[in-house]
Amino acid sequence: MPAAADRDQRRAVLDVRGLSAGWGPMRVIHDLDLAVFSGERIGLVGLNGHGKSTLFQAIAGLTGWQRGSIKINGFEVGRIRSQGPGRYTHQIVHRGLALIPQGDEIFHGLTVEEHLDSGAFTRRAWAERGERKRRILRIFPPLEQLMKTAVGRLSGGERRMVAIGRGLMADADLFLVDEPSLGLAPKIGKSVVEALMAVDLGASAMVIAEQNVALLQGRVDRIIGMHAGKLKGEASASSRNFSAERAR
Amino acid sequence: MNWSFVVSNAITLACIYGTLAIGISVTWSSLGLVNMAYGFIFALSGYGAWLASVNISANPAIVMAAGVLTGAVGGLFVCLVAFIPIHDKPNFPLRALIATLAISLVGNQALLWYFGPRAKSLPRLFGNWNADILGVIVTSDKLGASVSAIVLLTAILLWIRSSRRGLEIRAMMMNPHAASLVGIGVRRTGFYVMALTGSLAGLAAVLLAQTYYVAPFSGITPMIKGLSIALVGGLGSVPGAIIGAVMLGVNEALTSTLLGGQYVLITQFLLIILVLLVRPRGIAGLLDKAREA
Repeated sequence: MPAAADRDQRRAVLDVRGLSAGWGPMRVIHDLDLAVFSGERIGLVGLNGHGKSTLFQAIAGLTGWQRGSIKINGFEVGRIRSQGPGRYTHQIVHRGLALIPQGDEIFHGLTVEEHLDSGAFTRRAWAERGERKRRILRIFPPLEQLMKTAVGRLSGGERRMVAIGRGLMADADLFLVDEPSLGLAPKIGKSVVEALMAVDLGASAMVIAEQNVALLQGRVDRIIGMHAGKLKGEASASSRNFSAERAR
Repeated sequence: MNWSFVVSNAITLACIYGTLAIGISVTWSSLGLVNMAYGFIFALSGYGAWLASVNISANPAIVMAAGVLTGAVGGLFVCLVAFIPIHDKPNFPLRALIATLAISLVGNQALLWYFGPRAKSLPRLFGNWNADILGVIVTSDKLGASVSAIVLLTAILLWIRSSRRGLEIRAMMMNPHAASLVGIGVRRTGFYVMALTGSLAGLAAVLLAQTYYVAPFSGITPMIKGLSIALVGGLGSVPGAIIGAVMLGVNEALTSTLLGGQYVLITQFLLIILVLLVRPRGIAGLLDKAREA
């Protein structure tokens, strides 16, 4: 585990400063700072309704309104925006974001294979999609037999695998995984989280939002708590409680 | 009672209306836009084909290409005016409905002003001969219209099924929110979709002008038929639209032979109401095996 100073010298994949976001008159995120460095795997824990999903959606430009600075790979994607959620999302995604949303946003009529293809949007990812699909199948072997099946006919766990696989197809530098175990049987949820831990991040980073701290404890580089729209813990790489705990 | 006449009419109408219905259906499900200007694009491409036949050449391929191209340009125009500026504003479906309706009204008046009220007729694209298929006598224009509609539709549907842009369009049709998450640009896809559906309207215009005429308001009735077929098939479903087109084509041919042409719209809407009473999601509700998320 690198020390905090060490980490500061590494490349910040995501740098959020003074972010507020919400829906209509509601303010869900309050002046939040967050830095994510390359190669990190971060757990974001917190109860329902405290803004985990809204934070991810704000980074993807999907909230009703937002203000503050969001930098992905040093490129500013946060803007003051009062309407049109999703207007710039595809550009943000092209900057290197892969958001794996809560409750699998899937294309119910596409087959698993087409689904994985749809995740490979950059030219290089599209050219290498065969190899990448094989890599996804090594992570999620059960999908092998389902490649030609419409996703709408799959079970919840299989859908979640497809949604995560779709995110992994991209050339992303930042993976945001929203509640990977939500709504799944404990055993299946655990295997999905395990698969996420097995992903070789390389220079990219991953943030996993999860309510079940036990699933993440000791397996991620840091754990950040989220409460009432604010972050607690090692949000901007200052305190080192969790990493010290992990070292033990 | 001439059954061969009924059958050949039904198939021809099904092909032409099906083309329109697929255009309307695809626009609605991928962009969330009910394109009320579809009738205008239809009439416009009829005039495009007519201008080409007068000024360039009466070669069937050129006339048809001119109609299809004018349709695509018309679709892009509607996209620029009624989709790009307002697609991320609140209440987009309603605004788009009004905007496209306005384009349709203004556009039809502009056509009337520029080309005058007199109907134009296109040259006969498919010659003047009869074919005998399994004892059914089919005139050349009907055969040509059906075959070219089926060929072009099949080509477009295959393109949507196999190409990368087609994958993007289908993804948009199923879940626009998730589509933006995988990096599909709504605006860019909007251009593809509108050009594609516009060219479908152009094709239908050229084919229907073989039996009718090109007139400033000739697009209204085909658009109503296309929209109702899209409804009966289940908005957003291509197979549903095809089955709906066959159903309404048969109904139209039967009604005009048995009762008379003036009753066509009455029986047609009775049929639509019946179908929607039984299957509220249209015919697609029967076909769709995948669970919706």
